[in-house]
Amino acid sequence: MRYALLVQGGPYSHQATHSALRFAEALIRRGHHLETVFFYHDGVYNAARLLAPPQDEPHLGDAWRRLHDEHGTRLQVCIAAGLRRGLLDEREASRHGKAGGSLEAPFELTGLGQLVDAGLSHDRLITFAP
Amino acid sequence: MILHILNRSPLDSRVYRQALTAMGPDDRLLLIEEGVQGALPQMVRHFEGLDGRLFALREDLIARGLEGRCADGVLVIDVEGFVTLTEEADKSVSWF
Repeated sequence: MRYALLVQGGPYSHQATHSALRFAEALIRRGHHLETVFFYHDGVYNAARLLAPPQDEPHLGDAWRRLHDEHGTRLQVCIAAGLRRGLLDEREASRHGKAGGSLEAPFELTGLGQLVDAGLSHDRLITFAP
Repeated sequence: MILHILNRSPLDSRVYRQALTAMGPDDRLLLIEEGVQGALPQMVRHFEGLDGRLFALREDLIARGLEGRCADGVLVIDVEGFVTLTEEADKSVSWF
């Protein structure tokens, strides 16, 4: 089956990200496809380019990147939620007169319409909230 | 059949009441994260009537030292079982 996950909890503040990652790995082990993860509300902090947790703790941003690298999972970030929280790619940063972006590929800024599309086009959409 | 996913303890939040109100006769309820507190014998009364349809996530029970302490009738599943529940349900709703 084609799965999409919606992550609304911030990393290191709620369990939502850990729960979503654990579910993501399990569904892949069971032979499903994790095609899309959509980050919304404080979940957008998962996409922060400069996350630097202690080395003996899980790096949640890298865990998402690994899903993209190994399974082609699209990592979509709500642009409205991201901009409010200081998560801008290079293009948005220059458009808003900021020095340097805080979000980079494979994370991509997208609109809420992409979430609606994920709900319609995937077999399952599972929400992990704070 | 809809899978309802609840991540709040009945002690912390009343959202479980909304979940129960929304549930159809064949729907299932999965307790995750702090929600697994609801699987304890002294709490499970909040979920009466869900015989065979009330699940709790093993990994979250273990993380809280609660494995083996669930009330009779609560079906304990691991994360692979969580995936299976989403396969079997037409859709899922998360309550938080």
